[in-house]
Amino acid sequence: MTIAENLFENLRLELRRGCLTLAVLAQLREERYGYTLRKALAYDGLVIDESTLYPLLRRLEAQGMLASEWREEEKRNKRFYRLTPDGEQIFAQLLGEWQAINASVTATLNSTTDAGSGTL
Amino acid sequence: MELLDRYLESVRKHLPWQRQDDIVAELRANLESQLDEKEEALGRPLTQAEAEAWIKQLGAPIQVAAGYQPQQYLIGPHVFPTYRYVLKLACSWAMIIYSIVAVVQVFATQNPSGTTLLDALLHLPFVLMTTAAWVTLIFAAIEYAVAQGHLRLPALCAPSPGWTPGSLPPLGQDAVTGKKPRSFAQAVAEVVFGILFLGWLLLVPKHPWLLMGPGALYLNGSPFQLADIWVPIYWCLVALNILQLGWNAQNLARGRWQKPHPAFNLVFRAVGLVPVILLINTRDHATVLLKHPAIDQASYGAALGTINLYILRSFQVIVAIVVLQLAWDLGQLGRDAYRKRAAAMR
Repeated sequence: MTIAENLFENLRLELRRGCLTLAVLAQLREERYGYTLRKALAYDGLVIDESTLYPLLRRLEAQGMLASEWREEEKRNKRFYRLTPDGEQIFAQLLGEWQAINASVTATLNSTTDAGSGTL
Repeated sequence: MELLDRYLESVRKHLPWQRQDDIVAELRANLESQLDEKEEALGRPLTQAEAEAWIKQLGAPIQVAAGYQPQQYLIGPHVFPTYRYVLKLACSWAMIIYSIVAVVQVFATQNPSGTTLLDALLHLPFVLMTTAAWVTLIFAAIEYAVAQGHLRLPALCAPSPGWTPGSLPPLGQDAVTGKKPRSFAQAVAEVVFGILFLGWLLLVPKHPWLLMGPGALYLNGSPFQLADIWVPIYWCLVALNILQLGWNAQNLARGRWQKPHPAFNLVFRAVGLVPVILLINTRDHATVLLKHPAIDQASYGAALGTINLYILRSFQVIVAIVVLQLAWDLGQLGRDAYRKRAAAMR
């Protein structure tokens, strides 16, 4: 991997990290277990490794954002997760923050593009 | 599936022991659901090769387990800036104190040699490493205590909690070296005091009481006298002071008192070593003599030897300290030159 590729990969992972948490919290407004959550994220275009997703669920639970429960489904014990009331509140704040950042970046990109086309 | 069981067992070995069963059970449920879906889509069980490819894609057991470990630092990002600052400070002081102690020890020995000095020099890295190890150990303990919630140290977690914009240093310092330029009053005072000092120095041979006070009377009545070597050394000192005075005066006249060339101070200090080295190399180290050796040798011979030895040792210590100081200043000069060059390239 070249230095530029390495740098890109690091920045990409950094950019993805916060977005993944937001996406997981968004999905867990409905109760899900690990595998169905992963499938739902992939369906929406966010492919995430098992080795990233499952530990992330544990961390969010330890932080009080998620609550989990072991329950039998299709003859198999599964751990179901969903947002706690605290998690819902923090998710709403994070979502607002993300939307503001997204709007700012979009506006900046549009103004840069307009300025660029103006000079040409 | 046997391969999945073996895989999960390998993951278990690297998990925190308190949560092994819980994590493995959850992983198993998720992976078995995935496997069921794959086999349902194929309409048959996975072949050995397909199973291996699937398990391989999940990642090495140690990597999968690492995700479940709490994030651990020997010294974390919050404590690290303070750690680095303290480490630099501790190592600098360790080097200064060790150098002074080593120089005194070397010259306190009866026959100081190059080997003794080299031994002291070679021991320096171990002193620095020991200091660094202790500082690291202490900060690792602090980090652990903070991470475990046993300790709340806001001063360490935020290096400057009491920082205010008003506490910033005033402008006027050199942007590159960070040193404050000399004021005009300081430069004038240096020239005026230089002239006064030179006048005093020129009067000393005729009026030794100016240097020794009442001790001049004692020297007149004592059986000792200064050796002839002191005469050229005295004129060396006079010449050096005239040189320094001339340099300061021309800096003042040319309006360069704010930033005199830093190399001059180094050169002046290096040249200042010449008279001291002359004294150290005096024949038989006889810087003090008996006025009447034939009469007083028996009574004062031993005292004379001790006086000359003490004078020799004190000048050897002075040379060592000045050489260390010169080496330090040379390093600083090199660093400043590098910064100036880097600033010019920006």
